[in-house]
Amino acid sequence: MDLTLLAQGLVSGVLAAGLYALVSVGLALAIGVIGVINFAHGEFFMVGAFLAYQLYVSLGFDPLLSLLFVAPALFVIGALIYLSSIRYVLRAPELNQMLLTFGLSIVLQNLALLIWGGDPRSISGVPYRSVGYQVAGISIGLVPLGSFVISLVLVLALYALLARSKLGRAMRAVAQNRIGASLVGLEVDRIYLVAFALSALLAGIGGVMIAVIQSPTPTVGFAFTLKAFAIVVLAGLGNIRGILWASLAVAVSESLVATLVPNGDALRNAVFFAIIFIVLIARARRTA
Amino acid sequence: MLRVDGLEKRFGGLAAVQDLSFEVEEEEIFAIIGPNGAGKTTTLNMISGLLAPTHGRIELAGRDITALSSAERCHAGLGRAFQVVQPFPEMTVEENVMVGALYGTPGTGQAEARRLTAGALERSGLLPLREVPAEELTLLQEKRLEIARALATGPRVLLLDEVMAGLRPAEARLAVRLVKEVRERGVTVVFIEHVMPVVRDLADRVLVMDYGRPIASGSYREVTADPRVVSAYLGAEDGDDDDGGGAGTGAEA
Amino acid sequence: MRRALPDLLWTLLLAVVVALAPGALKGLFHQASVSYLSLASNAMSLAVLALSWDLLARTGQLSLAHAAFYGAGGYAAAVLAKLSGVPLFLALPLGGAVAALLALGLGSVTLRLRGIYFAIATLAFAEVLKALVQELPTGIAGGAAGLNVPPLFRPHFVPGAMQRWEIAYLRNADYFYVYGGLLLLAILVSVVVQRTRLRAAFTAVRTNEAVAAVMGVRPARAKLLAFVLSSALVGMLGALEAERLGSVIPDGTFAISTTVFALVTPIFGGLYTTLGPILGAGVLSAIEETLKRTFAEGYLIGYGLVLVASVLFMPRGLVGLANRLRRRRGPPPAGGAGTEAGLAGDGEGR
Repeated sequence: MDLTLLAQGLVSGVLAAGLYALVSVGLALAIGVIGVINFAHGEFFMVGAFLAYQLYVSLGFDPLLSLLFVAPALFVIGALIYLSSIRYVLRAPELNQMLLTFGLSIVLQNLALLIWGGDPRSISGVPYRSVGYQVAGISIGLVPLGSFVISLVLVLALYALLARSKLGRAMRAVAQNRIGASLVGLEVDRIYLVAFALSALLAGIGGVMIAVIQSPTPTVGFAFTLKAFAIVVLAGLGNIRGILWASLAVAVSESLVATLVPNGDALRNAVFFAIIFIVLIARARRTA
Repeated sequence: MLRVDGLEKRFGGLAAVQDLSFEVEEEEIFAIIGPNGAGKTTTLNMISGLLAPTHGRIELAGRDITALSSAERCHAGLGRAFQVVQPFPEMTVEENVMVGALYGTPGTGQAEARRLTAGALERSGLLPLREVPAEELTLLQEKRLEIARALATGPRVLLLDEVMAGLRPAEARLAVRLVKEVRERGVTVVFIEHVMPVVRDLADRVLVMDYGRPIASGSYREVTADPRVVSAYLGAEDGDDDDGGGAGTGAEA
Repeated sequence: MRRALPDLLWTLLLAVVVALAPGALKGLFHQASVSYLSLASNAMSLAVLALSWDLLARTGQLSLAHAAFYGAGGYAAAVLAKLSGVPLFLALPLGGAVAALLALGLGSVTLRLRGIYFAIATLAFAEVLKALVQELPTGIAGGAAGLNVPPLFRPHFVPGAMQRWEIAYLRNADYFYVYGGLLLLAILVSVVVQRTRLRAAFTAVRTNEAVAAVMGVRPARAKLLAFVLSSALVGMLGALEAERLGSVIPDGTFAISTTVFALVTPIFGGLYTTLGPILGAGVLSAIEETLKRTFAEGYLIGYGLVLVASVLFMPRGLVGLANRLRRRRGPPPAGGAGTEAGLAGDGEGR
């Protein structure tokens, strides 16, 4: 086997894992802290991508600059969506939450289709888009590297936030015991609001990056929603730390198959979900 | 009727239950008591098939049921009422009991199931409430539903897990009477309890567990006089057998 | 089965309506009846989809793999069609059988999974299946380009003067009957589950498997039965649709949108009932058509808003809403709130 090819597959996989982790960690926040099954999560990702695209096209903003605008914008959007609909289904059956968020997802997706049409859009004119490095025969694109770094930083920042900050502790408390937390004086509703808005923000940042890496269409959100769910479930509900590992596992496997197996690129999705399936089934057998 | 032999349950390195063996005679009311964490509910879970023992054997009416699933044990004559009451909230009281009646014994037809249900409801005093959705019941009514449901499966042995918890003295008295009536109909009862006066009134024999092991067995009088038992309880953090405020059932014949 | 009589009578009535509808529509609307029949077939298709998903949900198994079984049925039809001399009608039961077998397999390995874990496992299965079908040798399954499927009904030409729309009408009417038949089958299955001891078993398993087991219900059996019934129905639907569309293609036939519609519709209409999925299918189809005609572009935005609003204002679906209104108007039933177990189910959307 060509070792360089193997190494290339590994590296590409690791770099891709960053984005997966970023989007998944936001979803884990929504599911773990708030307890809401949010099937519209990927749409925040998509909105982030298209906002960045629009800022680029209309105002010539470099995506790095757009981050400063997209992040708060998504925070606000997330907060608005929480206030107008999500908070009413917090204690509803999961199926109702799914229906509501599917509805939201359809609305957002088609709004985007209406505004931007169905063609792929990308922030392609950015100078550093085609920059890459060669290390020991492995090519590493600047943009994938950059997005990996940004994603990693954000995910670790979130971990730190949850572990050390007052807000983070409050979130963990609420995640573990809603009633107990409110009895101790925590304003549960406000914590939910922040958590949800934060999850939207994280996904949105991921979206900005995908706009540079690929050429997303308004329908890209749902695919990411499904993958994010799969990763969250793979890591185990409530296990936010495990998301980095889960993302790595699936991203690397995806990438290895795409690189090493002939026609492997078409099998990416299959590999991703095959791993999820096998792990879930195996785990269930073990806890018998 | 029910026999447990060398039962053991380990979680990793921790033995929740060890060296547990006992026999329950037919139509006996048998109590398992002990401080919190003694392994009582784990034992019951193993007997009813919700937990697989690491070692040991369970026999029901001479038949080895260790390898059977919960449903199969139910068909063999084992009934169970849970500590934290778990009715099927969307269904009415009658529908709840019907589940047990229909499936408790394989091959039960609708007509017979209705009969069994009516019988079980009557015996537990729930007949007037048959159309009420289970989620609207009071605690005592829910406990009765638990027992009625289990009764409808036609058990020969009924496992009860702390049914007295949370009941007021008058309610507990009614529950005790119910259990005695159940036994009079030929059902063997094995129950876990913390409320000592209830154990005193109901139990023919008592088994005391501590740290997963049996430490004493015999009549209530014998067991409560046993210094090992006393120290097991008083040594524990909650001396909850000393409940002056608990369910005083008074002297029952 | 005593209480099933009203349900069976309603189903019989529906059968009569289905039998007479095409003729009536033609008489009333002439050429327009062609598109009405097509719309009605679409609505019935959605109803079958919804009924089959609801069936599975009754045991607490929330499947995201519905599209996989739909696709399996479709591809079964396509592959069958390649064998010469086999009547195309056989595609339906074959599609159902293939899907049922697949469900038996998937159901068995996912027995211990609950809630979202189960959902994601089924989703993963569906995605893998789609990719596998795509990667099969082109000779067998057509690869990424898919396969052509001969239609179930070819236009029949009656000698003599016949307008073109009348030929289209005949074709649509033929499909309408088959869809109607499949819908009636789905309703029958749903009624049987609702009116026999299966209802007790399914609800018990859905609510609490451990308690159900201890009462003598075998959770594995109940769950597998539900899975097989549900998948057989949707597999047949997939086969029928493949023969109506004329082709199968991995991306389209296994599209996740099928699953989304399958679960959105019964939740909207009212879960764990027979009427709910049907009502949901009818209303949602009507809403979608109306929106499509009013706003050419972006009508799906309205559709999404309808879904959102329905969860906020009708948490128990249409059936739940109807029950709520009925309770407010009618005299209070004796002995407490009393649940209704008619076609309208428990009135609980849980």
